[in-house]
Amino acid sequence: MSWIILANARKRKVRVAMTVGGIAIGVATLFALLSLSAGIENALDREISGMGAHILLLPEGCPYELTLALMQGSDAFEHIPAELLPDIRAVGNVSLAVPVVVGKAKVNGQLSSIYGTTEEILQVRHWGIDELKGAVIGSDVAEKLGLAVGDTVTISLYNSLEIEITQVLEPTNGRDDTFVFVSLEAAQQVLGLTNRLSAVLIRTEIVTESTRTQYTLGRMSDIQAVPPSDIFERLMELFASIKQTLILITGIAIVAGVMTTMNTMTMAVFERKKEIGILRALGSTKFNVFKLFVTESLLLSLVGGVVGLIAGYIATLFLPKTSGFGLEATPQFAPIYVVICLVVAVIVGVTSSLYPAMSAARTQPIKTLREL
Amino acid sequence: MKIDLVNVSKAYGQGDAQFWALKGATVSATEGDFISIVGPSGSGKSTMLHIFGCLDKPTEGEVRVDDQLISTFSDRQMSRIRRDHIGFVFQQYFLNASMTTLQNVLLPMQLAGVSDGKKKAAAALEIVGLGSKLRSYPSQLSGGEQQRCAIARALANSPSIVLADEPTGSLDTKTGKNVLDMLMTLNSEKNLGVVIVTHDEAVAAKAKNMIHVLDGRIS
Repeated sequence: MSWIILANARKRKVRVAMTVGGIAIGVATLFALLSLSAGIENALDREISGMGAHILLLPEGCPYELTLALMQGSDAFEHIPAELLPDIRAVGNVSLAVPVVVGKAKVNGQLSSIYGTTEEILQVRHWGIDELKGAVIGSDVAEKLGLAVGDTVTISLYNSLEIEITQVLEPTNGRDDTFVFVSLEAAQQVLGLTNRLSAVLIRTEIVTESTRTQYTLGRMSDIQAVPPSDIFERLMELFASIKQTLILITGIAIVAGVMTTMNTMTMAVFERKKEIGILRALGSTKFNVFKLFVTESLLLSLVGGVVGLIAGYIATLFLPKTSGFGLEATPQFAPIYVVICLVVAVIVGVTSSLYPAMSAARTQPIKTLREL
Repeated sequence: MKIDLVNVSKAYGQGDAQFWALKGATVSATEGDFISIVGPSGSGKSTMLHIFGCLDKPTEGEVRVDDQLISTFSDRQMSRIRRDHIGFVFQQYFLNASMTTLQNVLLPMQLAGVSDGKKKAAAALEIVGLGSKLRSYPSQLSGGEQQRCAIARALANSPSIVLADEPTGSLDTKTGKNVLDMLMTLNSEKNLGVVIVTHDEAVAAKAKNMIHVLDGRIS
């Protein structure tokens, strides 16, 4: 049967290309959506767990917005007074309190994220360096600004500072690659945030008692204490609802694809009445004709599915990497996405061909041949 | 195989628009027969041929294939009779334009699940003198060659009877004669039953039996 379909496809190249193209667009969108979503989910997980904190102390305000701003290295314009730090460190079960101040500033004239902190950060982030002296820069910053160890950079916003680069970090594939890490005082001075902190990363001695510590810290004025896992869950819920909407839109695009394919196939049946009439006269049963059209549609859909997968894969490679919560998300590819996309293509193929195939099967050979 | 039409009538349309294309026709065809059905346009001769070919069922009367009433046959059974026992040749050839001559002949074999179809299809094309044009498309063939290809297709599954509807109607006299000679040779040498519909008396006269149809009746 396949050569009959191929012979027909050769004769109707434009129609075949349009059908394959329609299905390919739907499948490519679905594949890109699935792999990008997984990439964003992965990035969220990586960034939040990568903070290395058991508890995150934030200024008052929306914790999700503040966490995202922290991860993106933007000043959220809400701050924790730095004088609270000794009180925070005095709370029982707090083994480490790492103050952090973040914001955008110009580094050699180019806007970059500045991350001011103390050497204690090296106990929660594992960069493989011994001290935080001068400026430690992420690999992306080094590449983008053409900087190397020993260079002096000018960091300026409210104030201007000249700092020597002491380390270029190995790529982490996370936001750390895009930060310029400096001392807390230097960052506060440049960003005009003297005595203010964006967040405090807390490590606890007894992790199982973190919840109690969180409540104690949360009762302090001007701050809120949240476990990063809660933030992650809420952000994932938020993202899930965005994803659902996107899937719904893709679903509508796919339904439109089904309609288009159905229309194409119905027109094909009309155009091919002569061929169907001949097939029936030569001894094709109604079922043979039905099967021929369903198989043809199925094959076109599968080809469309494969083309869509390739197109979707290529598209994800060229899409901007910074997407979804401003995080650097690398698309994740899993075999299950390929299976889902091909199953969708097959469903599109079969459902869109049922009506036209039934209509073809009902064609009366004698009536068709009389009309010709 | 023997096909009997007993007092067969066929009506098209309904109510006031009903039109009787065939009225009370009784006729038989079997292997070795060479029957011509003649009559003017619209006389009902093609309708008779279509009923002979199990392409259509009568409104009234009986059609028997090897003494079996086809009125009770399913689409599958009717299709099987057409596929295995009957070959069709049409005036407009009705070849599939997107297929080569070989593929066109292969098509009915494919439907019948013949295993070494290519060899047999090539042999059928050799018989009709198209052995050198296996890979040509219908558009690359002359009218006579297309009709010969259609005959090869009709012979593909070694039918008992070939039903030809104005097979020479679209051809010039010389080519038409060649096609007719081919059908006569197949009839005499291979005992093939041939039922040919024509309005050309000269063509009809070559048959062993001639049936005249006028206004749906055998006269």
